[in-house]
Amino acid sequence: MNVISRRRFLTRTGGLVGILATGIPPALGQQRQISYLCWNNFAPASDKKLAEIGQRFTKDTGIRIRIDHIAAPQQAAKYASEVQTQAGHDVVEMRMHFPWLYEPQLVDVSDLVRELEKKYGPALSSAQETAMVKGVWRAVPQYRTFFVATYREDLFKKAGLKVPDTWEELYTVGKELKKMGHPVGIPISQNYDTISTAGPVLWSLGGKEVEKDGKTVAINGPQTVEMVEWYKKMYRDCMEAEVLSWNDASNNESIQQGKAGWVHNPVSAYIVARNRKLDTADGINHHRSLAGPNGQRHETDVPRHIGIWKFSKNVEPAKEWIRYLLGKREVYDEYIMSGDAFNLPAYTNLVDHPVLKTDPKFAALRQEGVQFHCYGWPAPPSDKIQLITNSFILPNMIAKAVTGTSTKEAIAWGANEMRKILIG
Amino acid sequence: MAIAGAGVIVAARPPRFRLRLRLREWLNREEVLGPLFVTPALLLLLVLVAYPFCMAVYFSLSDAFIGRPSQFIGIRNFVNLWESDAFRQTFQNAFVFTSIAIAVKLVLGITLALLLNQQLWFKRWIRGAVLLPWVIPTALSTLGWWWMFNSLYSVVNWTGIALDLMDPPGPNWLGQKYYAMTAVILVNIWRGLPFFAITILAGLMAIPKELYEAAEADGAGPVRRFWYITLPLLKPVLGIIILFSTIFTFSEFNIVYVLTHGGPINSTHLFATLARQVGLETGRIGEGAAISLYLFPVLAFVVWAQLKSVRREVL
Amino acid sequence: MASAKRRRGWRKIGIHLLLVPFLIFALFPFYHMAITSLKTDREMYDRKAVPLLIKKEVTFEHYTKLLRDSEFMTWAKNSLLVSFLATTLSLVIGTVAAYALARLTFVGVGGLGTAIFVTYLVPTSLLFLPLAQVVNWLGLGDSKWALVVTYPTFLVPFCTWLLIGYFRTVPKEVEECALVDGATRIQALWHIILPIAVPGLVCAALFAFTLSWNEFIYALTFTSSSDEITASVGVTQELIRGDIYYWGQLMAGAMLGSIPIVILYVFFLDYYVSGLTAGAVKG
Repeated sequence: MNVISRRRFLTRTGGLVGILATGIPPALGQQRQISYLCWNNFAPASDKKLAEIGQRFTKDTGIRIRIDHIAAPQQAAKYASEVQTQAGHDVVEMRMHFPWLYEPQLVDVSDLVRELEKKYGPALSSAQETAMVKGVWRAVPQYRTFFVATYREDLFKKAGLKVPDTWEELYTVGKELKKMGHPVGIPISQNYDTISTAGPVLWSLGGKEVEKDGKTVAINGPQTVEMVEWYKKMYRDCMEAEVLSWNDASNNESIQQGKAGWVHNPVSAYIVARNRKLDTADGINHHRSLAGPNGQRHETDVPRHIGIWKFSKNVEPAKEWIRYLLGKREVYDEYIMSGDAFNLPAYTNLVDHPVLKTDPKFAALRQEGVQFHCYGWPAPPSDKIQLITNSFILPNMIAKAVTGTSTKEAIAWGANEMRKILIG
Repeated sequence: MAIAGAGVIVAARPPRFRLRLRLREWLNREEVLGPLFVTPALLLLLVLVAYPFCMAVYFSLSDAFIGRPSQFIGIRNFVNLWESDAFRQTFQNAFVFTSIAIAVKLVLGITLALLLNQQLWFKRWIRGAVLLPWVIPTALSTLGWWWMFNSLYSVVNWTGIALDLMDPPGPNWLGQKYYAMTAVILVNIWRGLPFFAITILAGLMAIPKELYEAAEADGAGPVRRFWYITLPLLKPVLGIIILFSTIFTFSEFNIVYVLTHGGPINSTHLFATLARQVGLETGRIGEGAAISLYLFPVLAFVVWAQLKSVRREVL
Repeated sequence: MASAKRRRGWRKIGIHLLLVPFLIFALFPFYHMAITSLKTDREMYDRKAVPLLIKKEVTFEHYTKLLRDSEFMTWAKNSLLVSFLATTLSLVIGTVAAYALARLTFVGVGGLGTAIFVTYLVPTSLLFLPLAQVVNWLGLGDSKWALVVTYPTFLVPFCTWLLIGYFRTVPKEVEECALVDGATRIQALWHIILPIAVPGLVCAALFAFTLSWNEFIYALTFTSSSDEITASVGVTQELIRGDIYYWGQLMAGAMLGSIPIVILYVFFLDYYVSGLTAGAVKG
């Protein structure tokens, strides 16, 4: 009997017995397949590792996976088009507040997250605030990129300066740095780096843009006055006018080519200097995020999650992929290690990850005692809150104040703009 | 006679051949072939230009948002836009950008065309070099300008400082309001000048030499010859170029998107880039469509002017 | 006599000198892009270095990294495929439409000609938002086929307009002779008119290809995945990760992404010039 007739015989008689007798896998002719749309990672090596893990996944489970990549600025438009046509990928990488934006289109993955939390401890605050929408997990937290204080350790040592621990101490040290010709580099312009610093400063003073109810403007409180005054004196005594026209890469470039003495940025500034073998690489180090007067330490975090579209016909295989990538400790660790400290795990027990030991400069990334939030905290990241962020109201407000407008007027302007958005 | 003969032959042939012959004859008639030949183009333009245009109008009159059902809201989008700082700034930018860019392109274009009209060595090479900026993909060549205006490594600043025209470190071109607009206009001029120059050159070459010789014999100097002969005879060509350039410059997207993305603080946003930011990046399709429809009045004016003054002989 | 000749000589030199700033203005960005793409990172990011020259070593690492670590070849292939197909489609549609409008009389010929011309003026930045929806409905969202379908909307009017001009230069007698001899109009078009109008067809094809390759807003809007995008979109969007700009690769990508057009341009320069002027002067 040749193979073909044997197969036909089996399908006629059918049954588990026939399959067991010949050893033909049950999924023959019915292979499961999923597609995963992922962003272009900061660390290119991480994307390669992901492809590798994908291949192993196929070997181990028989589910074929196609991994597509997309540049971060293109993600919004791409997701919008997939939602409109109700067709596209099964699994998508969701960053920051996207789960809120696409809540009606995402599968409830609370069961998956609970599994992971049992293994790794609760998901970090920034992940919870962005991936849990109205009590339901709409995406699975996977990793994050946070901001951290990046400074020229060699210059500090040479001048005998104390490494600052609070925003106020930064001002003291910053004055000296500027006199040395290495000013502090905090942007005050329409970019996300600006919001990423203004947020923590405001939060550490106990202030906020919008209340937790997401509807009441809170920017006109006394803490905002303190924040604006701090920025004013920083701009006057510790920084140069160029920060008013910086883009997201400017603070990286400034510290990399030797000008800035202290910047607030994710690890990209140091890693690029190291990889490009720049002169400043040896002198750059990080320290823990700064605290406010009451010891409150807050930091901006960019969490990235994995979500499953409701219109997908392969929800169960998709969940298996997520379990494979994140659920198995060895695989999750492998994935994080390939990211060169750009991507750090989003669960409490994994915060002190082995990847931090690959370079002594990563020690401060442990960030003990720091609370992480996404833009707009503590208001939940709804459409309107995101619009406030994307309209750069906070940066514009600070820019006005440091260039001559009175603090009161600038804050009133900011509050009014936010009010217009919350109402409109 | 030939036809009668053919008719006899046709009558003697089988029916299928007669049908094919009739089809051939039918296709040979102008009233049939004409519309047939024009139909593909017409269909394409109806489905992919006229229909989307109507959709744009519909979107602009609704509160369309990505992934959600929309409702008709009348002209609220158009009215609300005027309350937005970003939009008012964009409106101003569009007119400033277009008028300055076209004025400079016109003057430089005429100058360059006059130079190219002379007897030159390496004429072909020079013409080729001059036309290059227009041929290369704008998005890619703008990347080169982006690097040239980089806040730290700008070669423009380096040259300016070396020639003692600027104080170090030189302006942050793409980070400051008026400098950014200057940069964007500069790149637009760089890209658009070849179009002006080469087209005006063609117009110049069409002017009969005898007119100049006669004027010279009458004692007219080069300036008077230019003013009273060249310019008037160039008017039709200039008219066409300005009209074309108006609509293309007004609706510019590539340069602004790659160089400044509309910043800093919306000071270089044009209708196209703002429409994309509002419509696609924040998802408010209704508002985005309304913004891009502000291009329509200028488009309508250009079309009307072109049809009135120029198209009569050709169409 | 001799002094007049000398004056003419000086005048000629003067004219060439006046051209120099224009040439520098036109060519400097390309020169700068080229040398930056060949500089090492260390020299590129050194504020004290001279940006006009390469003083340290010349390196091809940006090019190799671009080709190896990014999907540049895929983007270039997409651009090539889209441009080629869009050009072919537009040329076919445009040729028959131009013939009909230039040579035949039928109901609405004047109006149609005007309509086609008007659509050329409708900017892509007005249509891209609703077209994005149409493209999604057609199931072509995030696919290069969306570009093949939508590019003809601005290529066809241009080709038609250009070819009408060229067809009009074919003497009517030649065509009428053929018709009297028993040829159908279609045969006359194929065997008589098209061969004469070959320069026009080449010109239209070149322009269509160039306009397709250079197109940006539709490509940016209708394609987003890394393996569907075109060269322009890929180089400007994918070589920046977060706040890290890979300048060396950006410049290398810009150079490589322009090469096909440069090649066509060098070989067919006269066609480009005549195509540019045909519209303005003939029209």
